[in-house]
Amino acid sequence: MMPQPTGAQLPDPPVSRPPGPTRAALPAELGEREFARWLTGRLAEFLGRPAEDIDPRTPFAEYGLDSVAALSLYGDIEDEFALFMEPTVAWDHPTVEALARCLAEEYARGGPARADGPAGV
Amino acid sequence: MLTPTERKAQGEVTGADEELRIQHRIADLERRFGAPDDPGNPLGTAALLAADERGELLAEAEEVLTGFRLNAEFVPRERGGRLDRIDTLGRVLRTVFRRDASLGLGYGATTFLAAVAVWAAGTEEQRRRVAELLLNGGRLAIAYHELAHGNDFVRNEFRATPTPDGGFRLDGVKQVINNVVRAEALVLFSRTDEAAGSRSHSVLLVEKDRLPAGRLRYLPRYHTVGVRGCQNAGIEFTDCPVGGDALVGEVGDGVELALRSFQITRSVVPSMILGGGDTALRTAVGFALDRQLYNRSVLEIPHARATLVGAFTDLLICDCLALAATRAVHLLPAETSVYAAAVKYLLPKLLTETTYDLSVVLGANFYVRGGEYGAFQKHVRDLPMISLGHAGTAACQATIIPQLPRLARTAWYGGPPAPDGLFRIRDPLPPLDPARLALVATSDSLACSLVGAAAELAGSGARTGAYRPALTALAGELEAELRALQEECAAMPARDRTVLASPRAYAGADRYALLLAAAACLGVWRQQDRDRHRGTAGRPGPQSAAAGFLAGPGWLTAALARLVKRLGRPLPELPSDGEGHLLDEVLARYHEGRSYDLYDTPLAG
Repeated sequence: MMPQPTGAQLPDPPVSRPPGPTRAALPAELGEREFARWLTGRLAEFLGRPAEDIDPRTPFAEYGLDSVAALSLYGDIEDEFALFMEPTVAWDHPTVEALARCLAEEYARGGPARADGPAGV
Repeated sequence: MLTPTERKAQGEVTGADEELRIQHRIADLERRFGAPDDPGNPLGTAALLAADERGELLAEAEEVLTGFRLNAEFVPRERGGRLDRIDTLGRVLRTVFRRDASLGLGYGATTFLAAVAVWAAGTEEQRRRVAELLLNGGRLAIAYHELAHGNDFVRNEFRATPTPDGGFRLDGVKQVINNVVRAEALVLFSRTDEAAGSRSHSVLLVEKDRLPAGRLRYLPRYHTVGVRGCQNAGIEFTDCPVGGDALVGEVGDGVELALRSFQITRSVVPSMILGGGDTALRTAVGFALDRQLYNRSVLEIPHARATLVGAFTDLLICDCLALAATRAVHLLPAETSVYAAAVKYLLPKLLTETTYDLSVVLGANFYVRGGEYGAFQKHVRDLPMISLGHAGTAACQATIIPQLPRLARTAWYGGPPAPDGLFRIRDPLPPLDPARLALVATSDSLACSLVGAAAELAGSGARTGAYRPALTALAGELEAELRALQEECAAMPARDRTVLASPRAYAGADRYALLLAAAACLGVWRQQDRDRHRGTAGRPGPQSAAAGFLAGPGWLTAALARLVKRLGRPLPELPSDGEGHLLDEVLARYHEGRSYDLYDTPLAG
């Protein structure tokens, strides 16, 4: 890339928002129940239906959440809980109940460390 | 070119040497096809059109491709083939698509689409067998989709039920499979688990000669509007056992493997079909030069000139994006997921629209199926078929949309710009490693390379000359569009990340693809300047003459202006001689027989 002229007027550069809370800013303990509540709310937003319609044991796919959209859930988990899961986490734990259990276990363990530094940097 | 002794002294194949080998390969294939407009050429346009009318692939052309060992292009070099680079694969196949898309798909591309899954996840034995099959001139068919489910292939019902001996029992129907009858083996996407979700499917490599008799039957051929020569038919398996060694990857890995393979195939197929766009433009230019209307040549009509120049500009835009996507497979495997979807979405769309514009120039000749301009209507019919096949427009948008909000928020203004190598059209690449292709893009350096472009161009001095104000303004519009899209993504409701996304979200994916195309054009232009400087320092690269055109500001200005216009943003005043300069290039390439893409490749005839 060509060097940028130092005197040129740049429009206000938008900055990338910080990637979300650090672990220190989150509660020390979060259980399956809290994760399930958050996931149900998230899924309700995704699907445009009331949270009480979402059964914790029904696979995401049966609600019409496609493979690629399910992949994007890992990003929400990262932003919300500073848990760096694999993108396929919602494929391997395909219900609210299963995913909440997985996340609660990881959270209790301190969560998998991110290999390549904090998100967005 | 280096002499063998010099090459030996260097001890390795240099980038320039590799480029020359590619050019020789393309020239060899061009020579074998011969001049398209020669009526005596058994592989000329007339013969290809006649085969299309019959709904066949031209047998003589298939023989020529066999003689050229086209299948070697699909087999990795370490397995005895010639596949090193995805950008090169697209470039070589353009020669075939320039003649006939049916041949490009029916002889070539679908075999590659099927083989990719085996290269990505097959066992040593599977890779060996597929390499052997292809190098001996055999074919692979790819059976992923089912008609009822389209690109929602997770709903596929074709079953491969696991059996106690570790094998599978196949039951079900796959429709519209190219080459299904004559292929020796099939790559089948099948349900291996009843549960709903993305871990219920697996990919199987099924070799027909290893199946018991009477368990498979073919369904009638589908006749199609375009690519009529392709032999699409259905296949039905009934209680058909296959061994456990047919499994490609692990049980339940089917969707993951498909999404990885698609990153390669979605990148390269659009690059291939640029050859069809080349022929459509070439045919229209020939018409415009020959035809007299209102006592003047069509070329003197301002609208016709603008259309030809616009089509050439679109082809360059398409090639810049195809270049970035195919080279990203090697260089940016963590980002390819969105780039591959963007190029597969945008490129057939741009080509379809540009050929429609060209059809206006041809007037009533557009409808004529034979004769001098008959190739045109065939390409018009063929192009949309390729857009639909394999990964439909909506499927590609559905890959981009869920990823867009997070990329917009965390990646666009935070990461480094794309590496120089992404845009260097003739440079070598690191080896392809499908395992490194991430399912979700975590950075977006192509979008990042738009940031700061206006300031860069404002300070670009003599290189942009009279084009500088226009280029600076265009880059400013593109940067503003990126910011606006970021803001819109931030406000996008979660529902827009699913297949239920609103039209607004789909429009966002469209704008994003156009911005990526602009970033790719800028990137190519930046790197061409370096090529030119290197050339004047006494080390001219292969075909350095073409670098002169690409290093100039004219095409870049036209390309960015077309993209800014598509984005619905205001256009600055453009230099008045810009169109004339590009028209000169269009005509020079027509008369000298050079391709309408970044490579300026010499053509036969």
